[in-house]
Amino acid sequence: MSDALVTDSVARALSVESLERVSRDEPTWLKERRSHAWSVYEATPMPTTKLEEWRYTDLSKKLDLETLSLSEAETAPDDPSAWPARLRATMDEDHAASGHIVFIDGHVVHADLDSDLASQGVVLKSLHEAVDSHAELVQEHLATEALPPEEGKFASLNAALWVDGIFLFVPKGVQLELPIRVTRWLSEAGTAYMSRVLIVAENHSQVSYVDEVVSNDFTTQMFTSTAAEVIAKDGAQVQFVSVQRLGRGSFYHSVQRTLANRDATLDTLNVGLGASVTRVDLNAKLLGPGATSDMLGLYFGDGSQHFDFNTSQDHTVPNTSSDLLYKGALDGASRSVFRGIIRVHEGAQRTDAYQTNRNLLLSNDARADSLPNLEIEADDVKCSHGATVGELDADAKFYLMSRGLDRVQAERLVVLGFLGEVLARLPLGGVGEKVTRVIEEKLAQHV
Amino acid sequence: MSDTPVLKIKNLQAKVAEDELRILTGLDLEIKPGEIHAIMGPNASGKSTLAKVLAGHPGYEATAGSVVFQGEDLLELEADERSQAGLFLAFQYPVEIPGVSIANFLRTAVQSRLTDGDELDIFEFSDQLTERMEMLDMDISFAERHVNDGFSGGEKKRNEILQMAMLKPKLAVMDETDSGLDIDALKIVANGVNALVEEDPTMSILLITHYQRLLDYIKPHFVHVMVAGQIVRSGGPEVALDLEAEGYKMYEGFESSANGNSPVTTA
Repeated sequence: MSDALVTDSVARALSVESLERVSRDEPTWLKERRSHAWSVYEATPMPTTKLEEWRYTDLSKKLDLETLSLSEAETAPDDPSAWPARLRATMDEDHAASGHIVFIDGHVVHADLDSDLASQGVVLKSLHEAVDSHAELVQEHLATEALPPEEGKFASLNAALWVDGIFLFVPKGVQLELPIRVTRWLSEAGTAYMSRVLIVAENHSQVSYVDEVVSNDFTTQMFTSTAAEVIAKDGAQVQFVSVQRLGRGSFYHSVQRTLANRDATLDTLNVGLGASVTRVDLNAKLLGPGATSDMLGLYFGDGSQHFDFNTSQDHTVPNTSSDLLYKGALDGASRSVFRGIIRVHEGAQRTDAYQTNRNLLLSNDARADSLPNLEIEADDVKCSHGATVGELDADAKFYLMSRGLDRVQAERLVVLGFLGEVLARLPLGGVGEKVTRVIEEKLAQHV
Repeated sequence: MSDTPVLKIKNLQAKVAEDELRILTGLDLEIKPGEIHAIMGPNASGKSTLAKVLAGHPGYEATAGSVVFQGEDLLELEADERSQAGLFLAFQYPVEIPGVSIANFLRTAVQSRLTDGDELDIFEFSDQLTERMEMLDMDISFAERHVNDGFSGGEKKRNEILQMAMLKPKLAVMDETDSGLDIDALKIVANGVNALVEEDPTMSILLITHYQRLLDYIKPHFVHVMVAGQIVRSGGPEVALDLEAEGYKMYEGFESSANGNSPVTTA
């Protein structure tokens, strides 16, 4: 092995050398923030199954950070003809958008935004560029209020080593009719991709954001970590959608924090279809009276896929509401874990908070664990939580077959109907159709 | 009317799949094209079991006898194949399918009847659905509701007739379609069925009911009394009127003799 190669592999390990490499040309405040995050990372032990939040996802068996290299510094060209065909096909399927970001192997390679919106002050760009062009905003919000590195091992790792990210800013009163669409492509096995998303929606603005990640299968593990901070100021309306369609061999980790201020609406949808291991940590904070969050999730597992959704709903002031619905279907020997908690803090009277997780098992080897929880420190609240794990309803299947549908068609309708409730709650141009199509492809493998 | 029966049941015996108890104990029945038959009987006489066995419910098992439907061995077919062959069961308790709209469901069902490679003409389908819904006094917005999800008893039964109207069976088995209906809903349902019969005079109907009331609105050519898993009396509409007057008491004795012995029939 040549010296150059050795140096390269050291520099690319998840190490302090990598930290130095990624922060080389950055402003001091950011260097300091990264290096603080790194010290938190080093001081935080890797979570084990002894921790309640990781009880069903054994990282010692599912992830080996030691073997991974941080993604390369090179950036693919901003030229669609040079992009992978699957990435382009994924974009072709989308409906119209206000703007696009294309993310290839950890870097933003393309950004466009409707010119009217740009002239109204909307910003959509690589986080790297935003560090220079919108230093004040980024410095105020990045890895501070919403998702500080102290939030855990992965939050600190991401805050230290993020390579690129997305910055979306919507000024006061500006409303985007069409969503912002982000399409990501990851291609290198044995690589760790670290990225961040920072969305700031000023007072009474409105924006929908759809982030989709796609890849082929990997022979050796690929790890991707995304940290998303979504801030809706007073009266803002924000929809945040994440669609995960990674190939097998991927470990997908996403930490999401949403802050809904006074009278803000901040809805989220997490769709998990691909990857070998999926872990989503979502915390929604309802910070101002009148704030509301719809939190939706949908997953379809097959083979040996493993999904772990860890959610929390924090109601800190009076008169806020949140409503969570996560639904999944599990085929093959796939498995899901849902752990959710509603926390109504002291004094947060007149909170409405709901939490529902429903699972449909399509095979005897599939398994779903559901652990809903409540922690209520106020007395004038409406809260409920519920979880179900059921099998495909034999009566429903017979009913449909008695109308001439064959077994496959009958099962398809029942499963899509079951999952469709989630998509119907957040109708966003084309997302439902695309997700439905992918589920149909997965269902076609069902025996 | 043709003389070849659309349905011919001979000595049919059946049980619940995971149970030993025989519910149908040797049932004979023949229905010709265009005929309307009614089977009446007390609770637990096996009426609904007959409906489920005919439709191919996986929870029931035929242990002896034969059922020939339009020349085919019906018992060899899966539930969907029976439907494709022209059999329709209007359920006593229609099943809720959350998240699946009636329009989507019916589109899939009608599409499944086309030969491979043929595409459903979506405009034609939509026109037909609208027309059928008007016939059944259903608001068009009904098509977007989820199948039977949160429906009233009357809405569920009307939805069954809507499906029947869209699928145009050769034989419709209607299992206690009158139960849970008020008189206005019953009239709408009966008018719908009668309109379908008028449209296709070769369609046959097997009404399964506990009460005479339905037969005031859908007039049967033949009425059978079923007790303890077999038919103990067959005749014209007068059989139903006798039952209405006397109740099922007169058949009580049949229960023990019918069970396992030779069928008793009076015509």
